[in-house]
Amino acid sequence: MGLDRRGFVKFVVGGVAGTLFTPVIWKGLDDAAIWSQNWGWIPRVPKGEVKATPALSKLCPSGCAVKVKTVGGLPFAAIGNADNPMSKGGVCPICAGGAQLLYSPARVKSPMKKVGEGKFEAIKWEDAEAMLVEKLTSFKGQDGKIAAISGDETGTANEVVSALLSGLGNASGFCVMPGEMYTATKGVKLMGGNGQPGFDIAGADLVLMIGADALDSWGPSVANQKAFAASHPTGAAATAQFIYAGPVLNNTSSVCDKFLAVPPTATAAFSLALANALINAGAVCSASDFGDYKALAAKYTPEAFEKATGLKAEALKDLVARIKAAKAPLVIAGASFGQGAGALDFVAGASLNVLLGRVGQSGGMTLLPAAPKALAAATDRAEAKDAGSFLAQVATGKASPAVLLVYEANPAFALPQADAMAKALGNIAFKVSFSTYMDETATLADLILPAPHPYERFDDAMNPYGVAKPTYLAGKPAMAKPVMDVKDPVDVLLAAGSKLGLSLGFETYADVIKAKAQAVGADFDTLASGGAWTGEGKGGGLSLGAAALAKAPVAKADDKAVALAPVTKLACGTADLATPPANLLTIRDTELKGKDLFVQMNAATAKKLGVTDGNKVKLTGGSGEVRARVHVNEGVAADTVAMLLGFGHSAWDQYTKGKGDNVYKILTVSDEAGTGLKVWAGSTVTVAKI
Amino acid sequence: MSGHAVKEFKVTWGMVIDLDKCTGCGACMTACQVENNIAPMADASNKMRTLSWMLVFELSNKKAAPDAEIAYLPRPCMQCGNPACVPVCPVVATDKNEEGGIVSQIYPRCIGCRYCMAACPYHARYFNWEDPIFPKGMEKALSPNTSARPRGVVEKCNFCHTRFMKAKDKARQEGGNPEALADGAYMPACAEVCPTGAITFGDLKNPEHKVHELAKGENAFRLLEKLGLHPQVYYVSKREWVRKLGDNYAATGHAGAEKKHS
Ligand code: SF4
Ligand code: SF4
Repeated sequence: MGLDRRGFVKFVVGGVAGTLFTPVIWKGLDDAAIWSQNWGWIPRVPKGEVKATPALSKLCPSGCAVKVKTVGGLPFAAIGNADNPMSKGGVCPICAGGAQLLYSPARVKSPMKKVGEGKFEAIKWEDAEAMLVEKLTSFKGQDGKIAAISGDETGTANEVVSALLSGLGNASGFCVMPGEMYTATKGVKLMGGNGQPGFDIAGADLVLMIGADALDSWGPSVANQKAFAASHPTGAAATAQFIYAGPVLNNTSSVCDKFLAVPPTATAAFSLALANALINAGAVCSASDFGDYKALAAKYTPEAFEKATGLKAEALKDLVARIKAAKAPLVIAGASFGQGAGALDFVAGASLNVLLGRVGQSGGMTLLPAAPKALAAATDRAEAKDAGSFLAQVATGKASPAVLLVYEANPAFALPQADAMAKALGNIAFKVSFSTYMDETATLADLILPAPHPYERFDDAMNPYGVAKPTYLAGKPAMAKPVMDVKDPVDVLLAAGSKLGLSLGFETYADVIKAKAQAVGADFDTLASGGAWTGEGKGGGLSLGAAALAKAPVAKADDKAVALAPVTKLACGTADLATPPANLLTIRDTELKGKDLFVQMNAATAKKLGVTDGNKVKLTGGSGEVRARVHVNEGVAADTVAMLLGFGHSAWDQYTKGKGDNVYKILTVSDEAGTGLKVWAGSTVTVAKI
Repeated sequence: MSGHAVKEFKVTWGMVIDLDKCTGCGACMTACQVENNIAPMADASNKMRTLSWMLVFELSNKKAAPDAEIAYLPRPCMQCGNPACVPVCPVVATDKNEEGGIVSQIYPRCIGCRYCMAACPYHARYFNWEDPIFPKGMEKALSPNTSARPRGVVEKCNFCHTRFMKAKDKARQEGGNPEALADGAYMPACAEVCPTGAITFGDLKNPEHKVHELAKGENAFRLLEKLGLHPQVYYVSKREWVRKLGDNYAATGHAGAEKKHS
C-alpha cells in the first residue's frame, strides 16, 4: 500500500492549496474512542410518507425555487425545482441545508422583551403586539420619529412596511440594507435611463464579469450557474466564454476561461481602459455623449491600465480581441461582494454594453420597468434610503428616531463600520427586531418578534437583482405548522396598523401577495405551486454616462495601505444569516481555523507587508480593526488583501459565535463624487504584524 | 497492489465529474450531509474530526499571481472496481458484491479498526470519533434515507444507496426493469442538487446513460489510475494541469492518451 498512499499524498501535496482534506493519523489508537454500537443515544431516523412540496426559499439573497422534501410532514431536505426557470433543478448551498435551519439553535422561539442589558424575557404575542402598538401610537404623526430598516430586497413586505410608515407620518423613514440593486438603478439614471438593469447571461456568448461574482454570490446565482452550465456541456465545446475581472480568484473565476486580477480600487479604471482600447480598435456608438466619453476614456491608456491594475497591457489587448470576436458580448459590473460600489463603478462597466450596442439585445443588458405595486402608498423600491447613511445620521444626532422597526436585517453586524453602526442603534430608544434568528441586532432590540422560516410562511420575490426579464416568484408554507411560536411580521404590522386606525387594505401577507400577483398579471396558485411569472426586459436609449464618469475620482496612492477585498461565498452565509449548520463543512481550513480567520494575499504583497504565511496580523481601516492570520494565496490581485465576510459573530449559535472577525468593521465609507452615494468597495487598510 | 481482480457487474454505477464546471459552491457537500444525517460539528475547521463523505478539494496550478489558476475537485467515494479497502477489513464490514458495483459499508458489523481508512488512497473513509449530536430539535430534520452512525465506526459515501433501492422498487411497481433503470431514475443527492450540473451520474455500462460516453471522452481521467483500483468515478477537464494533478502517475498530459494500468 505504500506506493498507493504516497501516490495520493503526492497528488494532494502537489496540487491542493488550502484543503479540507482529512489526513488519517494512523498511529496511537485512541482507547478513549473504543467503539460500541450500544453506547450513547443514537437518533433514530424518521418514518412516514416522503413528499416534495414546492417552496420559495428566501434564505439566499435572490431566493431559490426549491422543493422541500418532507417525511411525515416534516422537512428534511431541499432540492431544486426543475420546473422553475430560476432553479432548473439547481439549488444554492444555503437553501440545500434549509430544513436544518428550521431547528437552528439560534432561532427565536417566542416573542421576547428586553429586561436588562443582554437579558430577555419570553412574553405572549398579545402583550408583544400591544407593546408595539403603544410605541407606534406615541409617535404617530411625528415625522422623523419612526423608521424601519429592511434587509429584504425582493419581497412585497417592503411595500407594507413603507406604506405603514407613510400612514404614520414617517414616509421618509424607510431604509434598506445595501445591495447592488439600488446603486445600479441609480447608475441607470445617470445614463439617462430608467429601471433596474438586467443581464441576459443565457443569451450571451461572452460574459465579462467585472467584480460581479455571478456564479456564486451575485444575482440569481443558481440561474446564472445554469446558464453557464448550458454553455459548457460536459465533453463538448463551450458555446460561450466567461471572463472574470476582480480582486480574487474566487468560485466564479475558478471556472472562467480567463481571470484578470483587478484590485477593488481599480474597477472603474479597468472598465474605462477597456473602453479606450475598444474605441481604439474601432468601436463607435451613436450615444450623444460618445465624443465626451471617448475623450474621457482616452486618459485610461494601456500604461494607466498597468499602473491601476498591476496587470500587463497584453491582458487588455487579449480581452479586446475576445470581445471583438464575440457575437453577443455582455458586461456585468458589480462589487465583488455585492455592495459598496458606487453608481460610477456600475456606469463605467455598463457603458461598455452601450458602447458595444448590447442594450436591449438578446444576450445583452436589459432594463426592467418598475413592477406594479400592491399598496399605492408604498415607497418606490429605487427611492428607499440606505440604512448606513441613516444610521450615520443617527450617530451624529442629525436623525433622532424614537422607534425603529428592523425587518429581516442585521444592521448591527452587516453595515460598513459595523461597530459604529451598532453604537448608533443604541441612540434609538425603542427597537423592534422582526427576526427568525437571534442575530446581533436582535440582541440589541427592546422587543424581538420571531419571524417564520421560509418553509413556514407566505413570501414573494419580485425581480431579484440581475434577472434579464421581469420575474416574479411566490411561495406558501411547506409545512402544516411552524416549529416555533412565530407570526409573520407583515401580519403583525397589518394588525398594528388597523389598531392605529390605518387600514392598509389587507389583513394578511398572503392577501398582499395575492394582490401583488394580480397587479403583475400572474396567477398566485401557479406561483405557489412552484411556477414563475416572467415578463419582457426592455432596451432604452442609454447614454454612456460620460458626464457622471467625468467626476469619477482618480484612485489615490497610499504607500502604507493596501486595498481590501471582502469576499462573499454563499455557503458561508449572507448579510442576515450566519453560516448555517449544514454548510460548516464547506469552510476550508485556510479560510477559518478554530477561531482564526485568514487574510489572503499573494506572496509579493506579503513580502511588501513584511508578513509570512501563518503570521497573526491586525488590519485597521474605517473605524475599526480586525485580527486574522495570513494565508498566502496567489489568487489575490496585486497590493490587495482579501477576507471572507460573514464571520466574527457575537450572537447566533455555538457554530458561529466568536469565530473569526467581522470584516464589515474595517470598511471605510466615503462619499462618491457627483452622486452623493456612500461607497466602500474601494476601502483600504493597513496591515501590521502582532 | 492487492492482487484482487476487478469485479465485473452488468450494471456499474458511476460518476463523471466535470472539473471545468464545478465552481466549488459546496451545495453537493451540504446535500450529502443532509441526505446522510451527518451531524454539524461545533468546530468544523478541525478537519481531523469532520465527516465529509463528499469533499470538494481546491486544486492550484501553483503559479504566482497573475497566472494562478484553481479548480475544484469534488471527491465522493470512488466505488473502486478493485477496492483497496475491502480485502483489508477483518470482519467483512465493507464489500463489493452487489449488482451496480457500490462498495458497501455495514455499520453494525464495523469494529472500528480503521484498516480500510489506511488502505484507501482517496481518503474517502471517515471515522466517527463522537456520537452524532444534533442540536435540540434538529433530529426532527433527519433524513429517512440513512441511519445515524454511532461513534467507533467507519463510514463513507455509498452513492446514496437507499435511493438506488427506492429507484429499483419504483421500477418494479411501475412494471419496469429494476436491473436496467433509465438514465436519471437513480440520482444521488450531490448530483441532484449541483447547480452547474458538474456531476453526471449513471450506469457506465449502459450506452443509453450519458456517463457511458462521457467516461470515454478525450479529457476524461480517473484519480491515480496507475494504482489499478479502477474507480467508478471519472473526472473531466480540458485543463492539462488539472488532468496531470489528478492522474499524476499515468498522465502523459496529452488529451486522449492511452490509460495505463498496472
Ligand atoms: S454542487 Fe456542483 S458546482 Fe457546487 S461544489 Fe458540488 S460539484 Fe461543484
Ligand atoms: S453519492 Fe450520496 S453519499 Fe456519495 S457523495 Fe454523493 S450525496 Fe454523498
